Amino acid sequence: MMKRWLAVAAIFALVATACTAGSEDPGPEPEPPSTTGEQEPVTLEMWGAWTGRELDQFNQIFEGFTEQYPWITVRSRGGVGDQKIITAINSGEPPDVVLSFVLDNIGQFCSSGAWQDLTPYMERDGFDLSQFPAAALQYTSFGGSQCALPFLTDAYGLYYNVDMFEEAGITEPPTTLSELADVAKQLTVFGPDGSIERAGIVMATGYYETTVLTMGSMFGVEWYSEDGTQSAIDDDPAWTAFFEWQKEFIADVYGEGDFQTGADRLERFVAGQGDEFSTANDFQEGRVAMNLDGEWRTAFIADEAPDLNYATAPFPVPDDRADQYGMGQIGGTIIGIPQGSDNPEEAWLLLQYMATDTDTLVYMANNVRNVPTTVAALESPDLDVTPQFQTFLDIFQHPGSHYKQHSAIGSADQTTLADFAARWQAGTATDLEAGLQQVAQQIDDQLAQAA
Amino acid sequence: MTVGRHAALIAVATIFMAPFFFVFMTAVMTDQQAVTPSFWPRPFQWDNFAEVFRRTPLVRFAWNTTQIAVLSTMGILLSCIPVAYALSRIRWRGRQAAFVLVLSTLMLPIQVTIVPLYLIWVRLGQIGHFTPLILPSFLGDAFSIFLLRQFFLTIPEELSDAARVDGASEFQIMTRVIVPLAKPAIAAVALFNFLYNWNDLFAPLLFLGTNEELWTLTIAMSEFTQRHGTEWNLTMAASVLFILPVIILFFLAQRVFVEGVTLTGVKG
Amino acid sequence: MGIAAGAGVIRRRPRRRNLKRGLTILLFMSPWIAGFCFLILYPMLSSLYFSFTKYALLSAPEWIGLENYRLLFTRDPFFWLAIRNTVWIIAVGVPLRIAFAIFTAWLLTRPQRGSRVYRTLYFLPSMAPPAAAALAFVVVFNPRFGPVNQILGAFGVDEPPLWFYGPGSSKWGLVLLALWGVGDAMIIFLAGLLNVPRQLYEAADIEGASGWQKFRHITLPMISPVIFFSLLIGVIYGFQLFTQAYVVALAVSGSSVADAAQGLGTPQGSMLFFSVYLFEQGFLSFRMGYASALAWVLFFIAMVCTLALIKGSRRWVHYQGGGFR
Repeated sequence: MMKRWLAVAAIFALVATACTAGSEDPGPEPEPPSTTGEQEPVTLEMWGAWTGRELDQFNQIFEGFTEQYPWITVRSRGGVGDQKIITAINSGEPPDVVLSFVLDNIGQFCSSGAWQDLTPYMERDGFDLSQFPAAALQYTSFGGSQCALPFLTDAYGLYYNVDMFEEAGITEPPTTLSELADVAKQLTVFGPDGSIERAGIVMATGYYETTVLTMGSMFGVEWYSEDGTQSAIDDDPAWTAFFEWQKEFIADVYGEGDFQTGADRLERFVAGQGDEFSTANDFQEGRVAMNLDGEWRTAFIADEAPDLNYATAPFPVPDDRADQYGMGQIGGTIIGIPQGSDNPEEAWLLLQYMATDTDTLVYMANNVRNVPTTVAALESPDLDVTPQFQTFLDIFQHPGSHYKQHSAIGSADQTTLADFAARWQAGTATDLEAGLQQVAQQIDDQLAQAA
Repeated sequence: MTVGRHAALIAVATIFMAPFFFVFMTAVMTDQQAVTPSFWPRPFQWDNFAEVFRRTPLVRFAWNTTQIAVLSTMGILLSCIPVAYALSRIRWRGRQAAFVLVLSTLMLPIQVTIVPLYLIWVRLGQIGHFTPLILPSFLGDAFSIFLLRQFFLTIPEELSDAARVDGASEFQIMTRVIVPLAKPAIAAVALFNFLYNWNDLFAPLLFLGTNEELWTLTIAMSEFTQRHGTEWNLTMAASVLFILPVIILFFLAQRVFVEGVTLTGVKG
Repeated sequence: MGIAAGAGVIRRRPRRRNLKRGLTILLFMSPWIAGFCFLILYPMLSSLYFSFTKYALLSAPEWIGLENYRLLFTRDPFFWLAIRNTVWIIAVGVPLRIAFAIFTAWLLTRPQRGSRVYRTLYFLPSMAPPAAAALAFVVVFNPRFGPVNQILGAFGVDEPPLWFYGPGSSKWGLVLLALWGVGDAMIIFLAGLLNVPRQLYEAADIEGASGWQKFRHITLPMISPVIFFSLLIGVIYGFQLFTQAYVVALAVSGSSVADAAQGLGTPQGSMLFFSVYLFEQGFLSFRMGYASALAWVLFFIAMVCTLALIKGSRRWVHYQGGGFR
């Protein structure tokens, strides 16, 4: 009997030691390479998430980098999602530089050291962080570690159909939520059977970019307590305010006062949405009069629906937060150096270049239509700006704009809340307080494990 | 043959074929039309198939998939035939218990073992290579063993006994007596495994995802449904191209398939 | 074979021959034994170990004892939701699939012109790769654009189901997908039906039995081993349902930048099956320890159900040759 237990214990020990793949060693001692004189040629592996046309445009930027640092070649690979990045880091053979669209994993990347803390590099080289708007630095760091730099960002605002506005005699875009409800009611068209033929605006999750994240940010919600150890979803009154407002909005605009009617009609309308990134996009087709969307939509409309007469504006804010008008949710692409990179010093050079070279950022902004992330790039005269695109540049620089607080559980907090939100807006879940408490508890449980 | 039965036959056949029809129709539509309610492509964009080839190196991926499928199938046959033989053609104590154990591994959800398995391959440095997909085939597969065993059991014992008396070793009996008689079952196992490997997404994605050179067709297909636009028409076109070899294979080997599937169920 | 020679074989049994036999058996079984230890036993023990840790994949696992299991059973509503969904799909999907398989097989039992063609057509859908088939169904069952609702609308149905976009109908969409792929089960039942001795039916006809009586008292008992086998396989694989649910949920929840927050299992968690939840926790939420605990609970539940099924089978399964396996 004893022997068997020893054998089992031996197996466990083997497994335990086997599983320290990955990382408890501290960061490397930074040593600046000489930027002059003889250099060993270095090839940097760069993995990013861009694909297709955008990837081709993205790959152009490395020419400028190699001009500046002729001994460094960059090999860029597209279509790489976070899963592959995590896999590569785990397997001990990561690329030198990584680019990700998924902000939420920063918490885990920073806290586990999977993406290296750039602070030692920045301090040694005197890297000036004021080049970036404060909000951009906030979403690229976690727990005291600045493990990424921003590289272009998204900003969300209100898109509205000017023709439909003029038809209804509306001259100004709504700036508060009650104005939004009024306008939405005016612009909503019902069919003879009561179904929604044209919606004013869809304020429900499961529809394009309308999520608990984007909607909640208008209410200034807090996701976590100050110290980040506890979920604030059950504490912050802004959450309650948001959910209750949503119910009233749906009842008012779509249900003639009755929530369930409105919710059912909206559910059916949402199920029939056109594919977001196709020409059947509801806003581009005129199936919806207003939409919460990101700045990249301007490029899609220019490309696919150039005759659409539309305009953009910051998204309306709750009546009691009217002074915050002009803010919006922001957050975008991040770049970093993974743990185990073969050429961290050269990778740092590339990172700096990508994040701060004005020409690069302006080029990307003009082609891929994202918002550039340095103050210099935002003010550059070379930036190709349409009035509709300008809205988003302004939103990004508004002091109230931000991304949510990070945590080490990735996007699990959003997923958990989104599940409740979906049931709330369908009328399946009716006890708001209990629902939020349960969500908070689930998030707390996960937080405790991720630390 | 009643009219009712005939009608039912046709109705069911129509229902089964309808999705194929719609997939094919969508595959030759323009991107715009693919997301609209229309059934009939206007115009017929046959170029979609060429576009799929242009977008992704389908030939290379098909070759990768073929290599994996063929090598795995060979491995399965080499490893499962002896095991099935031992479980059915040699009498020994504990044979029944061993068989139950083999069968019970079918109940193991892959999620229970996948992460440690993945880590093993990481430590062996084999992520991004074909090894994690091919090597396990050489170590047996419960379902194939089950199927082969069932068939081996139907071959009369006298044949084996006669050979033993003549002084043949078990190995010789297996290769000279049993295998030739079990050709239908073996062919069926080969085809099933080939099909399984051809269609598998999870394992290739997990082990080969980081190395695009070695991607399989299934991974390539899943990449069509990515951010910034599912191009449904191309996705469906890719699906058609993907299913085509399988359909051709089936037509050529229909009888073996049917007999193979039959063998698992009838004897219990 | 002379009697003398036969007697010689029985009496001798030298040790060397026994040893040789033993080694042969071991040799023949060795691939599977190696596979069992390397691919099954070792990972199983590993994952058991992980289930007692918190393990974020990017850093080393940390022992936390029974904490995962405690959270799982007492504080995780998704766990119970996943179990309910999984049990539902098994309880509804497996019997329906078997019934449909018997029906379609029965359609094919009378030889007729083109029966091989029909057989091929019926079998074909089950050969389509699961992910592609799932995507095809998302297109075909799109509530606004898809042919199914268009046809329903033409027949005057006012509010056709939302299929994969509605919490009440999404699982039914998956059931239909499973029925569409019934080919592999159908072939087995076809063989089973053809195996029923004709004389039994003839005898029943003489007695004046009705079609239904013949089915209930002859056909069903005769194909009960096949039903049992299909039930068993259906339950085992039902617990592991992943690909179709995953692909459909992703396609339905939209592909946007914000896809993280839409979550798997949409709409409203109706397609959150056990293995989908497990995958999400382990590979997307950095909770590999918790996911391992989930995996073991899944294994345990599947084992219990399977054993119950096997035990219960003694009562209603009838073997022509007598005896099991």
